Amino acid sequence: MNDPAPIERPLDGIKVLDLSLGLSGGYCTKMLRDLGGEVIKVEPRGTGDDTRNLGPFRNDEPNIETSAPFLYLNQGKKSVAMDITHTDGRHIVERLVAESDVVVESFKPGYLSGVGLDYESLVKVNPTLIMASISYFGQEGPYSQYEGSEIVAYAFSGYMYITGDPDREPLKAGGYQAEYHGGISAGMAILAALNYRDMTGEGQYIDVSTVEAIASTFEGVSYYSMLEREDVLPRRQGTRLIHTSHRAPYPSTLLPCKDGWVHVHYSPSFPDGLATLTGNGRLAENEVMTAMSGHADEIDEAVIDWMKDLTREEVFELSQELRIPFTKVQSIPEVMSDPQNEARGFFREADHPVAGSLKYPGTPLAPWAEGELPESSPLLGEHSNEVLRDSLGLSNSEIERLRDGGVI
Amino acid sequence: MPPTSKKPLPLRGVRVLDLTNVIAGPVATRMLSHLGAEVIKIELPWGRSVGNMAIFTSDKAVERPYNKNAGFNEVNRAKKSLALDLVDPRGKAIFKELVSVSDVVIENYSPRVMPNLGLTYEHLRTLRPDLIMVAMPALGSPGPWSNYISFGPGTEGLGGMCHVTGYEDRGPSKPGNFYSDQTSAFHVATAIMAAMWKRRRTGQGKRLEIVLRDVTMAVIGEKFLEYQLTGRGPERLGNRHHGIAPHNVYRCKGEDAWVVIAVASDEEFDRLAEATSNLHWTTDTRFASMAARLQNQDALDALIQKWTILRTPQEAMHHLQRSGVRAGAVLKAPEALADPHYKARGFVDHTHHPEDGDFKHPGVSFRSTGPLTSLGRRAPLFAEHSDWAIGELLGHPSSTAESLHSEGVAPLVPVVRK
Repeated sequence: MNDPAPIERPLDGIKVLDLSLGLSGGYCTKMLRDLGGEVIKVEPRGTGDDTRNLGPFRNDEPNIETSAPFLYLNQGKKSVAMDITHTDGRHIVERLVAESDVVVESFKPGYLSGVGLDYESLVKVNPTLIMASISYFGQEGPYSQYEGSEIVAYAFSGYMYITGDPDREPLKAGGYQAEYHGGISAGMAILAALNYRDMTGEGQYIDVSTVEAIASTFEGVSYYSMLEREDVLPRRQGTRLIHTSHRAPYPSTLLPCKDGWVHVHYSPSFPDGLATLTGNGRLAENEVMTAMSGHADEIDEAVIDWMKDLTREEVFELSQELRIPFTKVQSIPEVMSDPQNEARGFFREADHPVAGSLKYPGTPLAPWAEGELPESSPLLGEHSNEVLRDSLGLSNSEIERLRDGGVI
Repeated sequence: MPPTSKKPLPLRGVRVLDLTNVIAGPVATRMLSHLGAEVIKIELPWGRSVGNMAIFTSDKAVERPYNKNAGFNEVNRAKKSLALDLVDPRGKAIFKELVSVSDVVIENYSPRVMPNLGLTYEHLRTLRPDLIMVAMPALGSPGPWSNYISFGPGTEGLGGMCHVTGYEDRGPSKPGNFYSDQTSAFHVATAIMAAMWKRRRTGQGKRLEIVLRDVTMAVIGEKFLEYQLTGRGPERLGNRHHGIAPHNVYRCKGEDAWVVIAVASDEEFDRLAEATSNLHWTTDTRFASMAARLQNQDALDALIQKWTILRTPQEAMHHLQRSGVRAGAVLKAPEALADPHYKARGFVDHTHHPEDGDFKHPGVSFRSTGPLTSLGRRAPLFAEHSDWAIGELLGHPSSTAESLHSEGVAPLVPVVRK
């Protein structure tokens, strides 16, 4: 890999030891890496991080080096493959912790105290340590020992009940949204803790529950309050926003056009804009304008009727010309090659020794620098030697001994 | 967790001028406030209008409705409020004085608004050299769509989220309500705290631009690699998973009652079979491996539902979890509020609003041994802190504040929109 010109990032110099396995910790430390932190990832020998085994894989052939979520989440991190339950492995983790600002982990609550690597043990080798634990139900509470997964967290957060069509079963969002939110919450808390450490010189231990992380997004319409104050149970409404009032603004929903789907949305600053856009005067009548949600079905019909002979692109351009915030639904390949992403260079190509040349999305946290290329995700154990020798100062013979002993 | 000692919160001493509206911006600044920052919400002089929020507590005619917008009061809690006409030169002057004593200015207007007001980063940094200024455009720049407008939900369509969310046999869908707004908000709060941390070292401010659609694409990032690695455009999977079965939602006893179950290994499948008294599943060739279960998941899902339909979501969840099976009730809002686990962890944030009563809100998603957050603080009344900001903070005589109030530049009640 060529060394590009150094790009300044806010967390330059921050060292993160990533003991986490899976998606939530992966996204947390991706955020920290995107912000400039150095991330050393400790993975189990042989199988590596969970996301290495999750797939989909290149050409659908299982391979721990070509799993899509691993390749996305671990760009720019260093990989050390090591058995942390082995005494020598534990000592190496302790030495790495002593040199780190932040530790992230996602084992089942209680596991790390069993191997002597919990916060109470690690703070002894690094008194100002910031450590974040991510688990499904949190470190404490009656269900802390329950097993989780992305869909379990999405369901138990309350979010699944309000996602999907009213005549169908509750629906999970695409991808791994609950897992990502576990990571986002941990990343956010770590940044707060770094600022706190600057002021006070003190570290802290952070407990993130993935269930609570996705549940903390369950608002914006006061779901809890709707329930208690209006006696209304917030329930899934397809792609419409949930409301309790026929006076609430509308539309905000997905509707079909000639060649696909459009996200149609009212304009707060152009209340009769829908009538202008569609040429349908009914939509500007006082009866509709003062009770838009009360006329949702009628509005849908009018907009569909206008869009039925128009393509997504035509609807998008016509509405935006009038400053009405309609957008179009794009497939994954369409997103990758749309003119805005092309102009911004949002997807950039990098080579990976096993997975090959791939285009990676940028990060919302720090825009690409000019000419910057994505970093690759590490091969399993790619940096074991480098980290042990350069960071910890182990000799070649010591490293050899660890390898022979099955520790690394 | 409230501070248990006199220790500071992480963002103590940080002042934020919040020009944001709707969801994404207000949730970002609310997080900063919960973490200790002083957030002054600069409100539009014509008040919290219909377009600001899609939800009202009630249709009933009420006095001072602008103080009783439940959605507003949820996303703006723990802030101060000053209503200010930024088009009026006197309003603009007050705003600039505030900038000179603030650390962060954040806005989520469409990209034309701040330049039209003459309030660019280049200008404001002359008043506050180490200012951190944050913009939250929908689609970013450069590019042909740079000035296009969208709210959070619209970015889910453009960013691919809608395409990969939905039932296998229906059109695209989206996560319930304002999902991408909240997701963007947390990225924005994180980026601001990173800039704060850097500023402590360098003394230098920064202009940040967090693009809403970028966040939407980032949280489905693996889908873009999946497409390239497999040659297939990822499609909607409903509640299923490409490599794990069973992985679905199952109907339970009760009205619109459901439980989810996900079984990631052979060992877990054996535990599911045992827990549901279906030991014969373990010898059924249709379910003998993950590959076989994926192949035959329609049949397997039907069998599992025969068990779940006899139980409530909570009964099914706790029974399966006690056997080490990943299961979760699809909670309704009242069930979340009543659940002993959420209660034990103190997740719900309780506030009292003098004109709008008691509220319960989802709380902050992290706990800490340190003093990290402060909850329990309500949203401000409209312009509640106007006199404080103009008089106490900026040091103007009360006569100045009074004329700004009466002339509608810094009104104490919403004025008719110009």
